[in-house]
Amino acid sequence: MKTVSIIFLSTIMLSTLSFGEEYVVISNSKMKDLSTAQIKAVFLKKIALIDNLNAVPVNLSALDSIREKFENRLVEMDFERLKSYWTKEHYLGKRPPITMQSQESVIAFVKKVEGAIGYINAKNLDDSVKVLYRWSE
Amino acid sequence: MRYLSLVFIFLLFLQAEEEYQLGKGIQVGSLPFYVGGYFSLDYKHTDDIDRYRVDDVAIIGYGNYEKFSYMAEFEFKELYVKTEQNGLKTSTNNNNLYTERLYLDYNFNENYMFRVGKYNSPIGFWNLLPVNVLRETTSNPMSVNILFPKFTTGLNSSYISYGEGELKVDVMLQHNNDIDFEYNNYKINEHYGFGVSYEKNDYAVKLNGGYFHNLDKNAVEDNLYYLLLSARYESSKYQILSEIGSQKSKSRYTTEYAGYIQGLYRFSQQHIGVIRVESYDDNVKAIDDDMLIIGYTYRPLYPIAIKSEYQFHSQSDQNQFLFSFSVLF
Repeated sequence: MKTVSIIFLSTIMLSTLSFGEEYVVISNSKMKDLSTAQIKAVFLKKIALIDNLNAVPVNLSALDSIREKFENRLVEMDFERLKSYWTKEHYLGKRPPITMQSQESVIAFVKKVEGAIGYINAKNLDDSVKVLYRWSE
Repeated sequence: MRYLSLVFIFLLFLQAEEEYQLGKGIQVGSLPFYVGGYFSLDYKHTDDIDRYRVDDVAIIGYGNYEKFSYMAEFEFKELYVKTEQNGLKTSTNNNNLYTERLYLDYNFNENYMFRVGKYNSPIGFWNLLPVNVLRETTSNPMSVNILFPKFTTGLNSSYISYGEGELKVDVMLQHNNDIDFEYNNYKINEHYGFGVSYEKNDYAVKLNGGYFHNLDKNAVEDNLYYLLLSARYESSKYQILSEIGSQKSKSRYTTEYAGYIQGLYRFSQQHIGVIRVESYDDNVKAIDDDMLIIGYTYRPLYPIAIKSEYQFHSQSDQNQFLFSFSVLF
């Protein structure tokens, strides 16, 4: 019975390790620490400047699953609600974040542009960017 | 000259590098300049009036560079109106191009922003998005029309802070004439106002107050004070929006109260149902009314709105049906 319990618990732990993907919000190393409310405000273009740096949020493409996870978790809006949000913001003179096709492009852009903020799968992380927020699901 | 400017802008449109998406405008070349616009057509039916109207045709241009951003909006208002009343048909054209918004913003830092020019007064929630296509009923609540100046020409300073939620403070200052007198619900040369709002998750509350000097020659009272309390809940399916306020002069209440509560339900992204209850008591015009408005909006795409509504008034001769078609491009 004890052996069965150990095998059962080990299986649960292994399945958690296998399926719990980790994601990170990254910025240029010159960016200061930001709260989740500030990250949300940057991606909704409510904050334009951070410590004299122009904030440049970077999205992955519309169909990317990491983008969906990020928007549900940090921006707290689904894709349809964001579409209507950006239509309203167009009337108010604001544009949606720029879009990159791959996580590699996001990392390269964030390294190069001081105010850039993006998000990637944590397994693609390297030391040249700063981690602002980390989550797993 | 104005028309030539419009033609010029549309020619620049053709040079855009970015792929066009309806409701998002388009970048002109690689300049920090985006162009878009909107229009609305509407129809109104009461017991004795049928009115067909090309109400708004507007063009907007905006952009940002470093710490600066700007907005310009020019609009033809009631470009064409055809009315049939008791068998009598009349039509009017208004070819005046009005300046609806024209301002420059300067962002000091992540907390402070400074604006100069003509802008939508940041009072309540409804007045921030006053165009037909972006709201869920063809009509506006009376409180938005009678309590405060919809537009301010002068300075606006705002402070925004992020803690558990979002706290925003606005100050409006006008001590000069409007950029375009005719395009405002009040003709004013002074407006001093404040706004404090707090937003957390799906909830938001806001308090506005202020003073303005009314220049209308027919105005009974010219020094007017207003107060407005607003609240909003919004999720993917529902929105509940309410605003209630009052306006007074030095000696009496000019509008004792004006307010509404509106509920919105999204059956899907395309089909939206709306119900609004309104009430107001306007002492200047000696009118008080209670209204129930039931509406339905169809959005084949979000920037296209096809709306119908029926208004039941306590003064039953005011009952009316409204229909509109509007597009943001």
